[in-house]
Amino acid sequence: MSEDLATLTIDGKEISVPAGTLIIRAAEQLGIEIPRFCDHPYLDPAGSCRQCYVEVEGQRKLMTSCTTPVTEDMVVRTQFSSDQVHKAQVATLEFLLLNHPLDCPICDRGGECPLQDQALAFGPGESRYVEPKRNYEKPLYLSPLVALDRERCVLCARCTRFCDQISGDRFIELFDRGAAEQVSISPGEDFQSPFSGNTIQICPVGALTAVPYRFVARPFDLKSADTVCAHCSAGCNIRSDLRRGQVVRNLARENDHVNDAWICDKGRFAFSHPDSADRLRTPLLRRRGLEPVSFRDAFGAVAEWSRTGRVAFLTGGRLLDEDAYALSKLARVTFATNDVDHRRYRSDDVPELVEAQQAAGMSVTNGDVERAGAIVVVGLDAEQEVPILHLRIRKAARRGAKVFVIHSRRTRLWDVAEHLLVAPGMESSVLEALGPEAATAGESPGAASSQIERARASLRDAQGGVLVLAGTRLAESAGGVSQALALAAALGGRFTFVPRRAGDRGALRAGVHPSLLPGGRRVMVAEERAEVETVWGGPLPAEAGRDAHGILEAAARREVDVLYLVGVDPLRDFPDAALARRALENVRYKVVQDAVAGTHAPYADVMLPATPPLEQDGHLTNWEGRSQRVRPLRAPAGVARPDWQIFQELSEAMERDLGLRAGVERLQKEAAPLLADRVVDLSGLGRSTATSTLGDAGDGLILFTYPLLVDEGTLSDGADELKRALEDDPFVEVHPDDAGRLGLADGAPATLTTPAGSATVPVRITPHVAHGSAFVPFNQPGLPTNLLLSGRFISPVTVQPAESELGAA
Amino acid sequence: MSEFEPVLTARWGMDAPVGIDAYERTGGYQAMKKALAMDPNDVIEEVKASGLRGRGGAGFPTGQKWAFVPQDTCKPVYLVVNFDESEPGTFNNRELVERDPHQLIEGIVIAAHAIRCHTAFVYTRGEFLYPGTVLEQAVAEAYARGHVGRAIAGTDFDVDIVIHRGAGAYICGEETALLDSLEGRRGQPRLRPPFPVVAGVYQAPTAINNVETLSNVPHIIERGAEWYTGIGTEKSAGPKMFSVSGKVNRPGNYEAPMGTPARMLIEEHAGGVLDGRRVKAWTPGGSSTPLLTEEHLDTPMDFESVQAVGSLLGTAAMMVLDDRDCVVDAVLRMTEFYAHESCGKCTPCREGTWWMTKVLRRIQNGLGRKEDMPLMEDVGDNILFKAFCALADGAVSPIQSSLQYFRDEYDEHVRLGRCPFEEGSPLGAAGQPEAGTQAATPGTETATGQVGEPEQGHVSLGEALE
Repeated sequence: MSEDLATLTIDGKEISVPAGTLIIRAAEQLGIEIPRFCDHPYLDPAGSCRQCYVEVEGQRKLMTSCTTPVTEDMVVRTQFSSDQVHKAQVATLEFLLLNHPLDCPICDRGGECPLQDQALAFGPGESRYVEPKRNYEKPLYLSPLVALDRERCVLCARCTRFCDQISGDRFIELFDRGAAEQVSISPGEDFQSPFSGNTIQICPVGALTAVPYRFVARPFDLKSADTVCAHCSAGCNIRSDLRRGQVVRNLARENDHVNDAWICDKGRFAFSHPDSADRLRTPLLRRRGLEPVSFRDAFGAVAEWSRTGRVAFLTGGRLLDEDAYALSKLARVTFATNDVDHRRYRSDDVPELVEAQQAAGMSVTNGDVERAGAIVVVGLDAEQEVPILHLRIRKAARRGAKVFVIHSRRTRLWDVAEHLLVAPGMESSVLEALGPEAATAGESPGAASSQIERARASLRDAQGGVLVLAGTRLAESAGGVSQALALAAALGGRFTFVPRRAGDRGALRAGVHPSLLPGGRRVMVAEERAEVETVWGGPLPAEAGRDAHGILEAAARREVDVLYLVGVDPLRDFPDAALARRALENVRYKVVQDAVAGTHAPYADVMLPATPPLEQDGHLTNWEGRSQRVRPLRAPAGVARPDWQIFQELSEAMERDLGLRAGVERLQKEAAPLLADRVVDLSGLGRSTATSTLGDAGDGLILFTYPLLVDEGTLSDGADELKRALEDDPFVEVHPDDAGRLGLADGAPATLTTPAGSATVPVRITPHVAHGSAFVPFNQPGLPTNLLLSGRFISPVTVQPAESELGAA
Repeated sequence: MSEFEPVLTARWGMDAPVGIDAYERTGGYQAMKKALAMDPNDVIEEVKASGLRGRGGAGFPTGQKWAFVPQDTCKPVYLVVNFDESEPGTFNNRELVERDPHQLIEGIVIAAHAIRCHTAFVYTRGEFLYPGTVLEQAVAEAYARGHVGRAIAGTDFDVDIVIHRGAGAYICGEETALLDSLEGRRGQPRLRPPFPVVAGVYQAPTAINNVETLSNVPHIIERGAEWYTGIGTEKSAGPKMFSVSGKVNRPGNYEAPMGTPARMLIEEHAGGVLDGRRVKAWTPGGSSTPLLTEEHLDTPMDFESVQAVGSLLGTAAMMVLDDRDCVVDAVLRMTEFYAHESCGKCTPCREGTWWMTKVLRRIQNGLGRKEDMPLMEDVGDNILFKAFCALADGAVSPIQSSLQYFRDEYDEHVRLGRCPFEEGSPLGAAGQPEAGTQAATPGTETATGQVGEPEQGHVSLGEALE
């Protein structure tokens, strides 16, 4: 037995736990539930509700078990063996109920309320309190998502402590004092946290309620299922609650390997997308218009078009692992092509070997992030892109990790991280300058040399390992990925990509990639390809295919006859709207396979209805490379079916059996050896030099863009309250120096002109973007920013005050 | 201790506030110079030997507290002076500063030297506009004279004094709430451990001392621990400030040795009870200490003796009620104070003080029920030692002690359906009701049926707390 263990008895039962464990946690391990309200395992102990009293032998007073660490030979008695404890707990409950309204019958929490449960279990049947209760106006809307009923609040401060300790955005606070103490928000403020929903879930009473769920259901009305959120690559474990077949809320499930006990508001509130009016329920074939047909007829059409034609496949980031695998196989086996891609960056931007390594298995984990000594975040706005990773980085910082963010825009890690604001595309130079052997620190554009110097020293001295977490946007910076790898290697640390979308890592792993097969096996390396050929049977095409951009260009040049789009809408998703439009206009046949019709529906020649994760069994691989089970919560709409099944059936129509007819278990069994962890040796990787992708921007600025958490993405369709709470109108952010030079005024409209197009949006002048840059969010209402892009997420841009404004001035 | 020579109030005969010239002329800042020439550990030893105990109420040995301040944490050490004097009935810190601010400043510099601190904060009660100004001026004088700031008195010792004004919350006198407030946060008590001496202001080692405590320090250094232990009792050494108020002829602050009997303080120092009436009840240490009665008047006022009779010396603030005062009314007022000042953090204090206020007001308004007294006893028991900090324990003190000593007065309120001391009542002038006779009067059973009905249909919180 380790000497770090303490042995104690609780209610006469002996247990050994690590020294420092709180009594309440030790009791849980023995199955002894001590009642509590303010205690939460992921928050610091508060000791404020006084519900969890226990008796500790040798102590004069009762002790709160949520604040008292165990010690060796401690003797603890809970309510089960101490009358004194029982009386104190009943007393606290009586105090809490003094001012608590008796509105359980209409309270959202009724039926799943800790206060109600405890009152029922051991509370006094009648109150000795005969005076009037305190009254508040109710509810108080803290935001379009969160409503507060102050009368029900027991002032445990879980919500305010969550905002303080976990999300770091203290919109809500305790106000006033004594019996008038209340949770509130400053007048005119909105609870604009993308994590606000967590406060609702951890509220131990019905004080904080979700506006979309208010008065919608009772717990016993709900059918619940455990699944995984498909909004981003975090892979948060959630429970979906359905009422009459419709999701009415999502809750976080606890998993300390992934999301602790938290999810973001998008994951919590954006669940209506599969019930959209544009949901595809049956195959459609273009005759006079799009007409409902059987799958057999639809497959017949596709088979006919592609029998002689050249087929290329594009997908986005929302396929389940099984679907991605089937797509990868379909393209190679049935259509003998490597023109298949899921990415939005160019093949040349990232060394293939690095992607192979990322595809080959799990790499950096959330646990590694939490325990890291230093973290370099580059090309990633974690809060907006992978929100739960943002919380994990904050947790690491609270534990002492040094965090550096190399980005063109300050992120909400601002209070725990040092930001090196760098001109878009120049991330690689900063990475190079941070290396311990970098010559001088004076040369890196964007960030101040003293800042670089400090960061470099801090990284060099970091205890406990360095992690370099890169968003896929790092690919936009020439040489960025190899510089990031070199930095990690030089510091003895590790590098990983953090892709944004839920299916990205799974698609990479499955080989939805023009030059990589499942498990990161390279198409052009014969022995690696052979490993896949053995499983799939027969020779596979040996030449690398075109990447997504190449496919669209080829389509635009009519070098593709059939463009097969699986869960992707190029008009909205690709960083070149004009190219996407040309491709759709010029290619002969467009096959669209999706759950919901997108803006590209008018171009479709056939539409195949697929199931969203809600209606499907499978897995999602998160950014760590962790594969997690997704469970079907309801039957598919209409005749919609999983993508993998559509691929199998289409292949059969092409007289080529993919071997997946036996079902998803058969598919998983087949894929398992191909997806098993492999070691990919990166030592042969050269190091490219850091150069600007765009060259000199001259008088103009460099536009950069990425999607904010809540935008016009189709997965947020129907989440009206979420959009009201968190969706911004389009804007362009410019640095005050640039604004002064260009004559821009805060709030006034400005016209952005790029080689691809122009748009007029209001200006926000802020020092939180890099000099020389202009940030425009990717997809806010009214401005699909890909209209301004020419294949990359950065572009030279001129920003001028809008004409109308000049005229008025 | 027949001939007690004033120590803390020695300069109270001079024009107030005593300026730096007058202070120095009368021996001021000599102790500081002496202390600065000593090794810090020797200063601590001297204070330890003097037996000086904290005057803020808890009575923790001051020298011992200083010795606990860790010196090897690589963090700065802070001294925080608790000048948030807010306990009802307690007003000695205020007068000590108003009259002789340099005595405190000298104590601060010596304490800072002892614990190797270079920044001292004086957390000043928000309502103390005038005393705060006096202190600010005195600190400015001391800076100008080189007694505070860089290279004090020619030594290499530096200390800055920062005066921080509170915003008007009793809870901020609780030392950990004070620290949060000082750091700019909401004033609510912190979880202990870690104790402030280890992790106080900005999580750095911090000694927190009361104004009166530090005012003793220059005298201990100047005249020695042995002299100091000659004053007061064995376990409660030194002179003590007693704030006597209420129904006495000369309310005010009186300095006397620890252990001076309460009767002497009330009758001799404060000139006896107003109009020659009898003492009915008194607090030995402010409203948070259990009430005592006439029979306890011979109690020596030191930490041990007051505790022996079931109360606490606290801040030695003696509020005197005479036989015309209604104990229920007095307790109601005190309880309202605690309900108003409860910070709201923990359940028993927040809800319990609110509840007790309601019950007491109902009794005082004539709507009391027989079961209210056992109810208050039980609820008091549910609050006592079960709240996050000591505020709630203090709130329970007047309730429980009044139920112990004056239960008949509560019963009388219930029986009569009104306050027996109210204007026009036969008891109004006659003083304390004689329990035996009145208890037998029939026909005045309280209308308990009305109790459940609120006076108004809707009571807003603001009104309810007023």
